[in-house]
Amino acid sequence: MRAVLAPAFLSLRDVMTFGESFRLGVRSSLGYVISTFLFGVLFGVAAASADFAHWQVVIMSAAVFSASAQFAALEFWIAPLPLATIALSVFLISTRNILLGMSMANHFDGHSVSRRAICLFILNDPGVVTSFGLKGDYDRLGFVTGYGCALMTSWLTSSLLGFSMAQYIPDQYVASMSFAGPLVMATMMVLFAKGSDAEPLPWVVSGLAALVLHELAFAPWVILPCAVSAGVVAALWVNRNSDD
Amino acid sequence: MIETREILIAIGLLGAIVYATRAGGYLLGLQARKIGALRPILETLPGCAMMAIILPAMREGSFAEIAALLVVVGLMWKTNNVALATLVGLAVLVIGAKF
Repeated sequence: MRAVLAPAFLSLRDVMTFGESFRLGVRSSLGYVISTFLFGVLFGVAAASADFAHWQVVIMSAAVFSASAQFAALEFWIAPLPLATIALSVFLISTRNILLGMSMANHFDGHSVSRRAICLFILNDPGVVTSFGLKGDYDRLGFVTGYGCALMTSWLTSSLLGFSMAQYIPDQYVASMSFAGPLVMATMMVLFAKGSDAEPLPWVVSGLAALVLHELAFAPWVILPCAVSAGVVAALWVNRNSDD
Repeated sequence: MIETREILIAIGLLGAIVYATRAGGYLLGLQARKIGALRPILETLPGCAMMAIILPAMREGSFAEIAALLVVVGLMWKTNNVALATLVGLAVLVIGAKF
C-alpha cells in the first residue's frame, strides 16, 4: 500500500459521524479529483476514437468506474468484441481491488449491508490509501464513500466532456489519442510499481513473454493469460527463493 | 460496427467483474485470515497484466507513441505527478500526430 501524507487539516480529534466523515472524504479528494478528471477526458476522447456513443460512455463509466479496467477494455474494443479476452484482462487488472477490499474488512463494522455494498461499488485506491494516512477517530466507510462519490462525479463528467470534445478535435489528433490507454496504464504501472513491495521480476517476465507471443502473432486472448501465467511462475520462484 | 446488445453485455460484464473483485476482497477479508499466503500473487497479478498489455502496444506504436510512453514513465518515476506526466505525454502524442 502506498504511503500518502495526509494534509494538515486531516488531523482529527473528535469522533466523527458518517456524514461528517463523508464530507471530509469529499474535501480531501481534491488532488485526485483533478487527475481523475484528466483521465476521464482522455477516456472520453479514446472512447470516441473507438466509435462509442454518448450513452455507452456514460453507462460504462458509471457501471465500471475503473480507469485501468476501462482503458484495458478499449485496447480490445473491435468487432466482434472478444468478450473472453476483455473479461480476462479486466479481471487480471482488477485483482488489486481484492487487496483493496480485504484492507477494508475490519473497518465497515456497524454499517448496513446496503451501505457497505454502495461503498464497495465506489471503493478506490486513493480513497483507501488516504484514509489509512488519517489520524483520529472517524468513520472510514463514510470517508471512503465521500471520496469515491467525488471521484465518480469527476469521472462521469470528464469522460462525457472528453467524448463531446472529441468531435471538435481534428481526426488525426483523435486517432493519436487512441494511444492514451497505454499511456494511462503506464502511469498506473509506475504508481503501482513504486507503491508495491512486490519484486519487479514477474512483471518483466510477463511483459517479455507478451512481447515474444505478440511477435509470434498469437491472438490477444492467448497472449494475456500466457504472459500473466509466466509472471505468476516467476513470482512463485521469487517467493520460494526469498523463503529459502 | 459493434452491435448495441454486444456492447451492453460487455459493459455489464466489466461492471460485474470489477465489482466482484472489490466485494470479493472484502468478503475474503471478513472470512479468512489465512489468505496471507495469496498476498504475493495478488500483488503481482495487476502489474503482470498491465505489462502484458503495455509492451505489445508499445511494440506496435509509432515513434511518437513510444516517445510519449517513455516520457510518461520517466516523469512519473521522477515526479510521481500523474497530471503532469499525462499532460506531457499527450502533448508528445499531439505533436507527433502533426508529422
